[in-house]
Amino acid sequence: MTTSRPRPLSPHLQIYRFTITMAMSIVHRGTGMALYLGTLLLVIWLGAAALGDGPLDIVNLVFGSWFGQIVLFLATWALFHHMLGGVRHFIWDSIHGLEPGQREALAWANLIGSIVLTLVVWAVFVWFRG
Amino acid sequence: MVDESRIAEPHIHYGNPKGSTRHFIIQRLTGALNILFLIFFVWLVVRLAGSGRTEMVGVVGNPIIAIIIALLIANVATHMRIGMREVIEDYVQDPRLHSLCLSLNTFFALAVTVLAWIALAKIVFWG
Repeated sequence: MTTSRPRPLSPHLQIYRFTITMAMSIVHRGTGMALYLGTLLLVIWLGAAALGDGPLDIVNLVFGSWFGQIVLFLATWALFHHMLGGVRHFIWDSIHGLEPGQREALAWANLIGSIVLTLVVWAVFVWFRG
Repeated sequence: MVDESRIAEPHIHYGNPKGSTRHFIIQRLTGALNILFLIFFVWLVVRLAGSGRTEMVGVVGNPIIAIIIALLIANVATHMRIGMREVIEDYVQDPRLHSLCLSLNTFFALAVTVLAWIALAKIVFWG
């Protein structure tokens, strides 16, 4: 619902000193917006498979190209980062991990965990697939 | 200097309290489900990445797998619609652009869901 009176604004990025929790909060929102568009990758893939051999071959060619692989790699990371960020929110919802130090540890775990998960999935299922 | 008209006043109600509480709950519910769907999705992509049509139809044509994908899409679309709505509420101030963005957001979430469902139905029923 929009109101006739302008909604209150809060200070934005330039006001704050850089912290890891702030960075991971921004990245959570960023990955969310990227994944929003990323759903198109799944729709295009399923749609091409439904349409026929020709369209599916084209999609496989694009997704399999170096550019497609970079996009899919980043999408994998965005998915894992956003998922772990969500888990972090569940931890906070249960009133845990909010103390100084714990917050930062969770933020680092979010970043490192997402990178590790992405590398493990790509190493196991793509790079060193037997 | 602070624009006084933009400071929150407790006696003025902003937004929709019932809708916002509903969004809060649904966002967490769909988020939790998405963790399970993510495991399935990684399996699906690993299983089918680069596959031809025969292989795709063989796996996605299985009604149970098709239904899981259909639910996954609907769940993701619900989650991302609420998430993008929050972003729009934060950054799009102009009232008309605001409601236009909210409508486009709903349209996109619906379009993604419906297109995926049509593709799935085609694969399941007509190969």
